[in-house]
Amino acid sequence: MADRLLFSKTGRAKYISHLDLMRTFQRAFARAQIQIKHTEGFHPHPFVSIALPLSVGYSSQCEILEFGLMGDTPREEVPSRLTAAMPEGIIIHQCYSGERKLKELALVNYIMNFEYPEGRPQETEPAMQELLHRESLVVRKKSNKAKLGYTEVDLIPLIRSWNLECQSDTMTLDIVVSAQNPGLNPELLRGAFCQDYPEFTPDFVTFHRREVFDASGCPFR
Amino acid sequence: MNRTLEHILPKVQKPARYTGGEYNAVVKSKQAVKTRFALCFPDTYEIGMSNLGCRILYGVMNECPDIWCERCYAPWGDMEEEMRREGLLLYGLESGDPISDFDIIGFSLGYEMAYTNVLNMLDLAGLPLRSADRRDLTPLVIAGGTCCYNPEPLAPFIDMFVLGEGEEVTLEYIRLYQLAKEECWSKEEFLQEAAKIEGIYVPSFYEPVYREDGTLEAMEIKPGSGAHEMVRKRIVENMDKSYFPVKTIIPSTEIVHDRVMLELFRGCIRGCRFCQAGYVYRPVRNRNPELLAQYGKAACEDSGYQEMTLSSLSSTDYPCLLELCDNLLDYCAPRDIGVSLPSLRADTFSMNLMERLQRVRKGGLTFAPEAGTQRLRDAINKNLREEDLLQSCRTAFSGGWSGVKLYFMLGLPTETDEDVLGIADLARKVYFAWRECTPNKARGVRITVSTSWFVPKPHTAFQWDAQIPVEEYQRRVNLLRDALKRDKSITYNWHDPETSYLEAIFSRGDRRLADVLEWAWEHGAKMDSWSEYFDYQRWMDALKACGLDGDFYAHRVRPKNEVFPWCRIDTMVNPSFLWHERELCYQSQTTPDCRTRCSGCGANRLLCGGVCNG
Repeated sequence: MADRLLFSKTGRAKYISHLDLMRTFQRAFARAQIQIKHTEGFHPHPFVSIALPLSVGYSSQCEILEFGLMGDTPREEVPSRLTAAMPEGIIIHQCYSGERKLKELALVNYIMNFEYPEGRPQETEPAMQELLHRESLVVRKKSNKAKLGYTEVDLIPLIRSWNLECQSDTMTLDIVVSAQNPGLNPELLRGAFCQDYPEFTPDFVTFHRREVFDASGCPFR
Repeated sequence: MNRTLEHILPKVQKPARYTGGEYNAVVKSKQAVKTRFALCFPDTYEIGMSNLGCRILYGVMNECPDIWCERCYAPWGDMEEEMRREGLLLYGLESGDPISDFDIIGFSLGYEMAYTNVLNMLDLAGLPLRSADRRDLTPLVIAGGTCCYNPEPLAPFIDMFVLGEGEEVTLEYIRLYQLAKEECWSKEEFLQEAAKIEGIYVPSFYEPVYREDGTLEAMEIKPGSGAHEMVRKRIVENMDKSYFPVKTIIPSTEIVHDRVMLELFRGCIRGCRFCQAGYVYRPVRNRNPELLAQYGKAACEDSGYQEMTLSSLSSTDYPCLLELCDNLLDYCAPRDIGVSLPSLRADTFSMNLMERLQRVRKGGLTFAPEAGTQRLRDAINKNLREEDLLQSCRTAFSGGWSGVKLYFMLGLPTETDEDVLGIADLARKVYFAWRECTPNKARGVRITVSTSWFVPKPHTAFQWDAQIPVEEYQRRVNLLRDALKRDKSITYNWHDPETSYLEAIFSRGDRRLADVLEWAWEHGAKMDSWSEYFDYQRWMDALKACGLDGDFYAHRVRPKNEVFPWCRIDTMVNPSFLWHERELCYQSQTTPDCRTRCSGCGANRLLCGGVCNG
């Protein structure tokens, strides 16, 4: 079984793209002098794989990276040594042996914060509730494969559960959605809300990934 | 992070270049430092972060506890648009604070086509463009880098220029600035004192006086300013005692040169007559090979980079190259760290070395014969013999290489059609060398010939010479293209002439061109080194609007006694030596390299004891 890291990506590191993050990890392992397995083939390189790619600009406290520890570095030393070799905003919390297959990662919990710095209109809350209570919510999703340049997806079946909380200048949607095959990118929800309720378009929306689960709703590690 | 910035970043491409926070980026407490410095590079993050000089200065300054140096790059168009819309001022990457609040704003100038970005960045910082309109000492706007050897086109915008290598002089003027702040000096008072420091050119202390025909009568020294007659460039005398950036910022996103850069030596023994770097970086100063190996290993360990490049103007001329490479390979090979050696001469020694270093990848090889015939190569003092080049190619092709790029310049002084056609002959000889040596004919070969349009540069033997007219350049391109038409294995690329013409104008331009820069910038010019942004017509309009003739700068042969805009700047290479080199060119005579025989250029006077380490 492969080794795994549980890490968070917040602050300035939010803007590191998926590919750049993999490269950053490869170099950080080298900086921390932690030997890891290399791929085979003509151009061997350190092998790292991220369980569920995170969109640029999103923060997360539950990222999982798979790799193969080599040499004599004890697992318990990895988090602190690797964190010290990381750019600002990436913190490694745990290093452990992955016991389950990555495809068992089924659900992901996002916190979406809709910001209204000028004051949140009262009606945003019922509007969002209405949206999420619909039988179906079909949106267009960009696709490079599709002939038309987009495909249509229904978001409702991909939502497992949600909770909405409102304050004077924010609306916070705590939502659990399908993680993969297919997953739901919460940006599509923001887009659907702004399209159907343009008058409630927030100033800004932040996205935070809080937890990943297996199909039964237990945290996935 | 600043809220406005956070709202902007999701809308722009590659946001990681605008955030800072990379590994080894230096974050200090602004309360704990005396002086804040914005090290600005007038191009994108990817280009600026690849600049070794900036990495060195960043390290030199941040080693001082009371100085905090931050980085600042030109935002790409989408980011600039958002910044302007949201009123976000240009900021330092480390703190996110506006650079207009910093003490010193320093630009690195390496390319004339980046000049409009300097203006654009000043504007994005919310500062007046012209030095005269910035009355206070703070922020002081300065510039360094190779372009400063002719600072005049930017003179009205920059408070002072720093000439030559910055490791030592940077701290000297910062200390002076700190004293000025403590004692509440005016900007004028500070500049007068700063002008006494060797290597500092304060443009407002020199006044160009023009003749009726537009040429310079003199660069007069402003009375009472106390400015030096000649401003001499600075060098680091001892490379073994100078700062080496072992710990450098490792970007979290890809940049152009994303690897350990090991600087072997400064200067160049060759003396190619067109090469500005070859003259202005004199004298040659080598680094100790053992020290270099230590630095290289330490830099790999600190960075996690899997690639190292040995950098210099001509790496083959490093006297201990073999020893160094062996030493580095012992470390790098078991760790899968690749070592690359650009700037190699096309000789057998180099080829053998390449074979040893690059055991895996056999991509393309690049040589720069610069000219097609031995006669012209002699005239420009490019001491490369055809047989050496062909032998190198044979070695390469036998070893499995299947691609060669050959770089040339068109329009070099004394060039004839015979020289132009010589390029085609040379390329064909390379092709025959492949036929003769390749172990695998079926695989084919790619020979690429690229030509650029020669731009005469200040402080070179060709500073008096004209760039050939564009029609003539085009004619020579066509001549060569026709000559290569039937050779299917040879691809010919030529550089479009428009940027080269502007380079020729600005590289030897005078202070009047500042108005052209400003006009072009006001009409939208920026990022002129990027084809997405470059607009030739806008530049022609700018010249016209300012009543200037581009051909006067680009295509005019200067007489021997011409007063150059850069006449107050002393690289310590004697102008009489440069003139002599020019005369030798017209006789197609070579000058031996510095190690074979000192040609008495004068740069040795920069060294204690006066003996170059050639």
